[in-house]
Amino acid sequence: MTARVAALDSVWFGSMTTTPIPTPDPPSQTGAQPVLAMRGISKRFDATQALSDVSLALYRAEVHALLGENGAGKSTLIKIMTGIHPPDSGEIILDGRQVQIANAMAAQALGIAAIYQEPMIFPDLDVAENIFIGHASRSVLMNWGKLHREAEAILQKIDVKLDVRMPARGLTLAQQQAVEIAKAISLNVRVLIMDEPTASLSAHEVEQLFRLVDTLRKAGVAILFISHRMDEVFSIADRVTVFRDGKWISTKPRSQVTSDGAIRDMVGRTIEDFFAKTTARQGDVLVSVRNLGRTGAFRGVSFDVHRGEVLGFAGLVGARRTDVGLALFGIEPADSGEIIFDGARVVIRTPEQATGLGIAYVTEDRRQLGLSMPQSLTTNITLPAMKRYVTPLGLVDSKREAETAEAFKTQLSIRTPSVQHPVGKLSGGNQQKVMLAKWLNTQPKLLILDEPTRGIDVGAKADVHHFISDLAGQGMAIILISSDLPEVLGMSDRVLVMREGVQMGIFNRDEATQERVMTAAMGQSASTSAFANADAASAIGTGAGPSTGAAAGRSG
Amino acid sequence: MRRLVRPDQIRVFSLVVLLVAFVLFFSAQIPGYLSGRTFVRISTGVAIIAVVAVGQTLVVLTRNIDLSVGSVVGFTAWAVGMALASNKEMAAPLAVLLAIGIGVLSGVVNGLLVAYGRVPAIIVTLGTLAIYRTILVGVANAKTVTIDALPEWMKALPRANLLTMGDLEVRAMVALAVVIVALFQLGLVYLRFGRRLYAIGSNPDAARIAGLPAQRTVFLAYVLCDALAGLAGFMFLARFGTITVVAAQGMELQSVAAVVVGGVNMLGGSGSMVGTLIGATLVETIQQSLIRVPGLSEFWIDALLGLLILLAVASDAIILNRLRKAWLARPTPSGPDGRDDRDTGARVSDSALSASGAPAGGKSS
Repeated sequence: MTARVAALDSVWFGSMTTTPIPTPDPPSQTGAQPVLAMRGISKRFDATQALSDVSLALYRAEVHALLGENGAGKSTLIKIMTGIHPPDSGEIILDGRQVQIANAMAAQALGIAAIYQEPMIFPDLDVAENIFIGHASRSVLMNWGKLHREAEAILQKIDVKLDVRMPARGLTLAQQQAVEIAKAISLNVRVLIMDEPTASLSAHEVEQLFRLVDTLRKAGVAILFISHRMDEVFSIADRVTVFRDGKWISTKPRSQVTSDGAIRDMVGRTIEDFFAKTTARQGDVLVSVRNLGRTGAFRGVSFDVHRGEVLGFAGLVGARRTDVGLALFGIEPADSGEIIFDGARVVIRTPEQATGLGIAYVTEDRRQLGLSMPQSLTTNITLPAMKRYVTPLGLVDSKREAETAEAFKTQLSIRTPSVQHPVGKLSGGNQQKVMLAKWLNTQPKLLILDEPTRGIDVGAKADVHHFISDLAGQGMAIILISSDLPEVLGMSDRVLVMREGVQMGIFNRDEATQERVMTAAMGQSASTSAFANADAASAIGTGAGPSTGAAAGRSG
Repeated sequence: MRRLVRPDQIRVFSLVVLLVAFVLFFSAQIPGYLSGRTFVRISTGVAIIAVVAVGQTLVVLTRNIDLSVGSVVGFTAWAVGMALASNKEMAAPLAVLLAIGIGVLSGVVNGLLVAYGRVPAIIVTLGTLAIYRTILVGVANAKTVTIDALPEWMKALPRANLLTMGDLEVRAMVALAVVIVALFQLGLVYLRFGRRLYAIGSNPDAARIAGLPAQRTVFLAYVLCDALAGLAGFMFLARFGTITVVAAQGMELQSVAAVVVGGVNMLGGSGSMVGTLIGATLVETIQQSLIRVPGLSEFWIDALLGLLILLAVASDAIILNRLRKAWLARPTPSGPDGRDDRDTGARVSDSALSASGAPAGGKSS
């Protein structure tokens, strides 16, 4: 009845769609009411449609895995669920009632909590206080004895051994997550979102985390589990949902999911024809990297880049592709392996050194690291090559500066009132072009592009792609780091795939299919997926029933 | 459960040792140093700085700073002095309330701008430092509060003793400061408000996600801080009697010095009022005693004080970290995985750089 009212509401409030909203039923739970249902959720950020009309239902005592490439809309969904962003349209239904989640506190009051890859702990507070700090019901006066006793009781319940009086500073990541889970339990959460909780854990720690997840599931909590590790998804999830490009693609019980099928769902995009890369005549090898590594980031990375070649770097979040770029540019120097640049062995320790060799690095982070927003196009573009604009008297030749800026404005079709206009006033796409101009003006031999088209509109994207292709045609060696899989595949002559700091392989243009690259990026091979499926089939039904752990669900 | 001494307690203990060492050094250098007079002089000075530093601690715990306290003390001292001079019938409690009220008003301005206006604290309070002082200069119009103009009870106040033990006199003002330190120390440990101060300074992002009322808490910290500065202004008036427009100039630095030396982390999240009191005592003792060391130029006093602050900060960074590691490494029931002691701070991941579009902490606002 309430559900019907809610459905009526969505008609009333003009959900933009005419197609029926898919609300997939869980296996053997038909008729049960989901704890949390998201219906027809859409969200747009500037030029990007982050979510379009997605629906997701979470049931009691289930672990629901959410899969998707970078940019599939997983993070946006979490942020909507936890009240950080309001949805543009769509409705959130908790226990059959439509709710508004205005902020983090409201989410908490509704019993929705999230655990992030980097736990949100207070290093100076002790373990017990970290568990209870956010409680709205916390009394004005502290009762430390009670606090410590209750914290101990919760940790005991989930079988975690920690001194509750110990400050949280210095806890291992796994311990911090245990504290976060204890916090969630103390809040009587009904919906727990875990955003890549295992990304930085050792295998042993993952095992322990999964035991905690299982405890929560048995207690009736609905868990939304986000991970890029397919084997983990198969070992813990009851149902699996796949998003792609901000859209819902599929929701299936684990028994019906195969690794290949899930990957197909994740990558099933079409490579649009505006990816303009034309194969250039490749010259000799410009850079040879052998066994490059930086402790704690990546290791054993080896590749060659020829003049006139675009080498793509593909991988999921946490693959450490950016760290390789930072190492080549000397921002975070490598501590093992060697780099041979233009025939000579070099050790790159600073960006100055890298610039001197002829390496340019266009950062993914325009606002923080790339551009000086209040300053003009001209100033920004000529900054790294300032030496060339100094007259014999030691003054800056502003006329020649302006000429350079004008030339790039035409070449890159930067839309701006004038080259003296502050960069901060331009659109994201035009800012990105200014960044490119800035580094091209240093006349590099090797250009490292880190997410050159993130967050810019389709037109500007096409301009940037054409330009990259032109540069390669002129003999520049280019490393293209991008999370946009069709972009990497469309633009690159070869694609290097990384996963969690390890090089998974290099594919030639003709072998690099979306499926192959994504399979490598997820660290998946046919044999392990078969094993995981068998494992999944045998383990199905553990604690997934709607009736298990009813008593521990929610008391008030 | 076994309770060991915690690193911050060791810190406070080492400060006490340092204080004793300084006193021994000065008593060897200065004839007649160990006397009731020295105690009275230093303790009265400490009383005023300590009250200001208690307020400063509240603000610094939240990862902010209040540089306007010196101007608030000076303004309050002058304004209350003028009010008393023009109306000798004014009741003592009313004078105290007036002082605190002026402080609250200043705190509201600072707090609104920092907590709700999101202007960096150092800029806001550097601005109000100058503004409050300028208002004082303008309003005062070169008039000075003189001790003769004050009512009798006010003149008697600085000599009022709470108790006398032979040569040792404990002034009422000193007792008041100790009570304030004790009350706020208890508040920090036992009030929800106090715990929130620590939480917000310890991890502002986590505080937001945990749904703590960060803005309101920071605002209140400023109001309390400047209310205490107002009270200190009253004490300043009582102690000196004569108040010019430059009164209490530089007290903001003294209070920050007391807080830092007392072991309060300038990045917020850790420290205690007891530490602050000992820090204030150390700073004031050194300042007052160095003047009396024969053959030492006054010129050196500030330099030595600066050196002390640098040492305090350096020791906080180096020694305290080692102590913490040693404390954590002690055998305890370990967590999910006791064997894994990776340094979580060393992980700069792809996601930290790319997913948020900004390096950690580099939010553009």
